[in-house]
Amino acid sequence: MKISFTWLKDYVSIGISKEMLAHKLTMAGFEVEKISTVGGDTVFELEITPNRPDCLNMFGMTRELSAILNKTRRIPKIQKLKIPNKKFDIEILDKEDCPRYVGTLIEGITICDAPSWMTKRLSALGIRPINNVVDITNFCLLETGQPLHAFDYDKLIGGRIVVRRAKPGETIQTIDGVKRQLDETILVIADEKRPVAIAGIMGSKDTEVTSQTKNVLLESAYFNPVLIRRAARKVGLSSDSSYRFERGVDFDMVATSAGRACSLIFECAGGKITKRTDRVVMKVKKGNLPIQITIDQINKCLGAVLTGMKCKNILKKLGFEVEMVKKDTLKIITPSFRGDIKDSIDIIEEISRIIGYDHLPESLPQVKFSNMPLDVKRQQRKHLRDLLTAQGFSEIVTYSMINQKSLEKTFQEDLRGVRIQNPLTQEQEIMRPSMMPSHLSVVISNMNHGQKDLKFFEMGKIYTVGGEKETLALTMTGLNADDWRKTIKDMVGFYDLKGAVEQTLDRLGIQRVVFEANEMTFLERGQRACVLIGGQQAGVIGKIQDDVLKQWDIKHADVFFGQIDLERIYQEPKEERRYESISDYPSITRDMSLAIPIGVTACGIEAQIRKAVEKETNVFLGKLKFIEEYRGNKVPEGYRGMTFSLTYQARQSRTLRDEEVLVVHEKVWDALTKELGAIRR
Amino acid sequence: MTWNFQEIQEGMQKEVAALATEEQLEAFRVKFLGRKGVIAEIYDSLANLSKEEKPVVGKKANELRAEINRLLEIKKQEIKEKKVLGEPLDVTIPGVVSPVGHKHILTQTIDEICGLFESMGFIVREGPEIETEFNNFAALNIPLDHPSRDAFDTFYLQESDPEHDGRYLLLRSHTSPGQIRIMKEHKPPLAVVIPGKVYRPDAVDASHSFMFHQIEGLLVDQEVKFSDLKGLLTVFCKKLFGEDIKMRFRPHFFPFTEPSAEVDISCYICQAKGCSVCGRKGWLEIMGCGMVHPKVFEAVGYAKGKYTGLAFGLGVERIAMLKYGIQDIRLFFENDFRFLKQF
Repeated sequence: MKISFTWLKDYVSIGISKEMLAHKLTMAGFEVEKISTVGGDTVFELEITPNRPDCLNMFGMTRELSAILNKTRRIPKIQKLKIPNKKFDIEILDKEDCPRYVGTLIEGITICDAPSWMTKRLSALGIRPINNVVDITNFCLLETGQPLHAFDYDKLIGGRIVVRRAKPGETIQTIDGVKRQLDETILVIADEKRPVAIAGIMGSKDTEVTSQTKNVLLESAYFNPVLIRRAARKVGLSSDSSYRFERGVDFDMVATSAGRACSLIFECAGGKITKRTDRVVMKVKKGNLPIQITIDQINKCLGAVLTGMKCKNILKKLGFEVEMVKKDTLKIITPSFRGDIKDSIDIIEEISRIIGYDHLPESLPQVKFSNMPLDVKRQQRKHLRDLLTAQGFSEIVTYSMINQKSLEKTFQEDLRGVRIQNPLTQEQEIMRPSMMPSHLSVVISNMNHGQKDLKFFEMGKIYTVGGEKETLALTMTGLNADDWRKTIKDMVGFYDLKGAVEQTLDRLGIQRVVFEANEMTFLERGQRACVLIGGQQAGVIGKIQDDVLKQWDIKHADVFFGQIDLERIYQEPKEERRYESISDYPSITRDMSLAIPIGVTACGIEAQIRKAVEKETNVFLGKLKFIEEYRGNKVPEGYRGMTFSLTYQARQSRTLRDEEVLVVHEKVWDALTKELGAIRR
Repeated sequence: MTWNFQEIQEGMQKEVAALATEEQLEAFRVKFLGRKGVIAEIYDSLANLSKEEKPVVGKKANELRAEINRLLEIKKQEIKEKKVLGEPLDVTIPGVVSPVGHKHILTQTIDEICGLFESMGFIVREGPEIETEFNNFAALNIPLDHPSRDAFDTFYLQESDPEHDGRYLLLRSHTSPGQIRIMKEHKPPLAVVIPGKVYRPDAVDASHSFMFHQIEGLLVDQEVKFSDLKGLLTVFCKKLFGEDIKMRFRPHFFPFTEPSAEVDISCYICQAKGCSVCGRKGWLEIMGCGMVHPKVFEAVGYAKGKYTGLAFGLGVERIAMLKYGIQDIRLFFENDFRFLKQF
């Protein structure tokens, strides 16, 4: 809201510079966002928080200033008007919609320009002067905070006012010239036949006050704030009136403000009140609330040492009725314009705000130990980040919302994302059910900047109808680590991604991890696997299909992607590390090079080897390491070559003999030959 | 016969310097120290010398022999090292690294802020992003159809709230519903910070994003005072932004705290003189805070008047932008590696 420096000075003596004033206003809760000079006046732009509708006018702001500056206020006296007995015909259909309506008919006015002292003030605050009557309604709105509207009385069909909901199909052309569709959720002011104003928002073009107007009906009312707010949103029109009505005007000021406007109209446009009605169909109780608070309570809450006198004085300046009882208790009655003050805590805020938070003491809180359990997920999340960055993955953060099209592009259209009712753009229409679209878009945008070697991960949520699920996603493409000594550079491949996942899970202490070939449509056949933890599916890894990459305009690159359910990882029991004694006796390592029928997996061979050695009473397998895979014509057709390295150790504390190992090694060979059809190479 | 020891020594030194292989080394040794070598020749000649000359020449010969042995030893070592190590390396060629990835700057900022509060005894907790209207609004004293909701434009989902007929689930528009969840589950004393993603239907530009991160803080106990709020946040801001910054607490309105304040720090870019970053105000708004509103305690079922508390909330992107001089919020979510690798 804009306020004028000269106008303020009329009502309260300021006595400080405008910069100082701006600072004091800011520090009392009215942040000055801008100071500008308009036509010789200084205009402050203030942020008035939604709890303070009473400050959306000069009376309210000067009241605040009188408390902030500890000065007296001198606002214009509003004269008592001679009110005729004749009533104006006002009908209110629903008392909840419009608890109070004051209609004043003034006849015999002369429309001309408003006096320059008034138009100057309006212009400074950004309101275009129209004519004396319209300007007076605007002036009173700025001064008292009560929105007023003047109708050209002669254009009101039937000469009466009905406050009712709009009928389906009714329309209105508002003063701004726009024709608007109405419905029964919208409150209107109507005459005998048609709506003449959208209540609290804007009047109709047909009944506006023009240079020809002779008689005006002045409206001052209290409308249901919720109704006005909804209607303003519905018709997409916010005005100075609706802004105040939806925040709530002062019920007790409705007639007083009308009086202020009438006396200004007599002064500037002549005329005489011929009819008047103040229809109160429902009392809106705001303010007039008794609150008791002790000075001790105030000081305890603020950690301060304020005196009762100081508190009392502040509240009085702010318009509260205050009485000090029993030396340390304030008996307070709240004013009608302070509907926001309901409890003692509100009183404490008023006092602290006016004193200024900067003048209140500072202390360090005592933070007590609590036995609230630590968030184990957070610890694991931290550990995961450390492990992944140590393996060269950088962390990314992408938007949780995506568009449906990106799922289709990723061949995941069968995944159902949670839809958003009110997205701003299509980019936010669904909550992503997979991280893959977001990751592919990071790949392509980086590639477009010439960055082709990428390893990254994200820890965030994916969303399905069942709710949100914390997920880890990994993506890699391009060259492996850069080593200038190597002439042939390695491209990342399936086993790089698998290795990263394996090592990460292992270091987290997750033991029961199995990789199994699977059938995910968006991953390339033969290069895709699901990750099972404890026998349950926990994720997938693999090479993204070329067809998918093509949809994303990713060319000449292999992209590997993995997505792991973190909730599964959090739940999985972690291995408790125990020290295993390190043997002082030498071990013996023997390689085993075999040709094995295609279809037998490495995992299957390893299991067989372990099983064969397990039976031995003197020897155990200290380590089993995969060495290499060979595919080519040095092995029979239908076979592939594989080499493992077996490290044997004596079960007892002694040195192992070569002959013993030879015997066991042969037994392993026999088992592999018999059980899996392996051939020695 | 007289010996010119100086000449012999100089000649010997020149020869040693030129030695490059073990063979040359051996030839040199034979030439000087061999049975028919120079030293042997000198010793042989001693017999023909006078009584006075004998000890003088003998001593010089001994010294020469020691010197040759010393140089030989050095050379031998040198040749051996060269043979093992080859040519010396150009130590200025860049080393080969196994690259370490970068944690996202938002993660780093969240960790730093949460870490500061953890060091003061707070516990870090997280809450869900999909929330109910009750937790996001009603329990926080934000009524339906009230202008105080204007600050909290919210995305609604097409999923109904299983606990409230006719109500839809929403994406939390602030981390404050996290307070409600914590208080519903635990009794005071409580000291928690809650980081997380929040969502608001804001059109995207350099300073607005429909998704961003907040950190919420909550301290509830029997005698928490407004002065504690000032003290705690002053310590926090100084730890985060440096001891030299000035601070101010400005009254504000939040439905869920009272008294409420916004916290400004003096703009350290312009030393509070006014610049484009602080909008020529000299102050940077960095967080909102206040004393927990009694209505919030009521909503979570705490006994009336038993507890007081303080709460605060801050935007992670804003802090990171200020701290690292990032001028566009979109950079956080574009994930350009040229950006990610800077942190």
